[in-house]
Amino acid sequence: MNTLARLGSYSRSDLRSALKQGTLTLHLGPFTHLVSGASNALLDFLSDTYRDYQVEMAPSDVTDVLLSLEAPNLLRRFVRRQITPNPGFKVPAVPLPIHMAPLAYEMGLNLSVALKCCRFINVHAGVVADDSGAIVMSAASGAGKSTLTAALLQHGYRLFSDEFALIGLDKPLLYPYPRPISLKQETISVVRDMVGDSWISETVTDTPKGDIAYYRARESDLAQDKTPTAAKLLLFPKFEKGARAMTHQLNPAEAIMRLVPASTNYSLLGEPAFHALTGLLKNIRAYEITYGSTTDSLRLVEQITGQKML
Amino acid sequence: MHKSALKQMAGVEPLPQKVMDRITLIRYADANHILGQMASAVIPEKDSRLEDIFRNARLRAEHDHRMLQFEMNRLEHALVGTGIEPIILKGGAYVALGRKASKGRRVSDLDILVSEDELEEVEARLKLAGWAADEATDNPYDQAYYRHHMHELPPLRHQKRGTVIDVHHLLLPKTAKSKIDVTTMRQSSVFLEGKRLKVFDNVDLFIHSAVHAFADGAIDTPARSLVELFMLYEELPERDAARLPARANEVGASTPVSIALWAIGRFFDVKNSTVHSKQMMGLKRYLVLRWAITSKTHDGPLAPLAKAFLYVRSHYLRMPLRLLIPHLARKAASWRPNSQKPIELPVP
Repeated sequence: MNTLARLGSYSRSDLRSALKQGTLTLHLGPFTHLVSGASNALLDFLSDTYRDYQVEMAPSDVTDVLLSLEAPNLLRRFVRRQITPNPGFKVPAVPLPIHMAPLAYEMGLNLSVALKCCRFINVHAGVVADDSGAIVMSAASGAGKSTLTAALLQHGYRLFSDEFALIGLDKPLLYPYPRPISLKQETISVVRDMVGDSWISETVTDTPKGDIAYYRARESDLAQDKTPTAAKLLLFPKFEKGARAMTHQLNPAEAIMRLVPASTNYSLLGEPAFHALTGLLKNIRAYEITYGSTTDSLRLVEQITGQKML
Repeated sequence: MHKSALKQMAGVEPLPQKVMDRITLIRYADANHILGQMASAVIPEKDSRLEDIFRNARLRAEHDHRMLQFEMNRLEHALVGTGIEPIILKGGAYVALGRKASKGRRVSDLDILVSEDELEEVEARLKLAGWAADEATDNPYDQAYYRHHMHELPPLRHQKRGTVIDVHHLLLPKTAKSKIDVTTMRQSSVFLEGKRLKVFDNVDLFIHSAVHAFADGAIDTPARSLVELFMLYEELPERDAARLPARANEVGASTPVSIALWAIGRFFDVKNSTVHSKQMMGLKRYLVLRWAITSKTHDGPLAPLAKAFLYVRSHYLRMPLRLLIPHLARKAASWRPNSQKPIELPVP
């Protein structure tokens, strides 16, 4: 069955057997992913959070990402089952209890893209876009990047990516890779209140990263996953409890120096990466924004872009 | 692994038609660190997914080559005024010479060869230039072990750049049964254009690759070694190929070279090399070794047995039992579960 269709259009048993045989192929943005390793936890997760994504039951071509979710050893296949992502190279992944399969799956895909797919510059950042271009938001874990990404999606922006800004080496454009947005700890309830319960996956509790849930990408986000776009704004968001809303403009050199350490492959790519980053930031402004609430963060974005939010 | 796999990865045979077979081949090439070589040897269709995958692999190799060129430059700089002209070995030499075997090849460290009486000065100069004993072997036992028994100094890691340089004075451990005549090989080494760095000549490059693959170690990366040997052999002018058996004999590398020639014939169907290997060894020699190499490369049902054999053989080649047993006992006693430091990844 080499035809692309919504994952949700396949039956659970079709999906299970494709995962068992290691032939389930997920098409998203510039990448294709071959996934293997059936478990109920993964099937539950995929058929909910990935239901609108395009898949094939068997690959029609070679794939960028090969991810196998497997037990760390024979014992853990049967007794107190565990799971670990194997992207085809050695990763320092901790075996997780089988119910954390969604996390193992998402981590495995992140590792693959971050370390293998170097025909794009990967910068750890959230990206959303509208018709006038993309907003890139780069921040450390826990700085409120995912919340701001989710908030902007409610105001006319479409999702490019929550984890990676993918920048082309040949053209300094951003490429969409709209995986579900990963929400941690308190963010889960904040975003759930914002978007409604039906958009959020079941929470995986007590993971090494705390509680985790995923915000499903919308069909409108996925429909444009092949359309790259230029950047219009670079933000370094900083959520601080009780903070007064503030913006601080950065010059291009400062902005680039902050993006470089957030990239997983800048130094590997060298000169072309430098040209692509400078090309991306040409003629756009960069700001550090500090805020204590989502409302404030949206107001700051409005102020900087000069565009009224929908 | 399918019998044609090596040929397909070396670009000698077309890739399998079935998608899943292609995926398996790519996965195998990646796991065996020769996806880059495959990407350089195989021409994909334009704008295909395969082209994307190959591009990823080539970009990674290009990074390694830039790093290596820079390290060679720093090495030359560090040795200015000493009159020491180190020989760049293996991957470094292939890259510097632009050999086919270097295309797409991943390189992690720089291997050089100097004479034994230059070791002390080279080490001192490198330390002045920012290299220091690598943390992993920076303990009295390992330091002494390398210096007394090995063919190289303990690895030196650059404190800022993190790159590793291995300074050899022999091609095999001092304790190894077979001796390679490095002095003779050094005599015919040649300068890299415009540099105070040297490389082995064509024939000796091949000989060293064969020694590295079959006289040292447990053939841990058979596919990578075989593809390397094949590519070096292919580029060897007819005249040099004919010189190979005599030269191998002269420097004491007949065994590894004859096995290398046999392997090239066996895995890549190169007639000439089969003929030469037959001249060098009787048909019946090294049967078990040849079986083990084939079995480990194809990863067939008996591969674990082959691996065990090659592992034992590697230690037997490297040192006599009176050294091996205390060494392994010491390693076993200091072994701790999970003692390997986890790698830090810049990943969310």
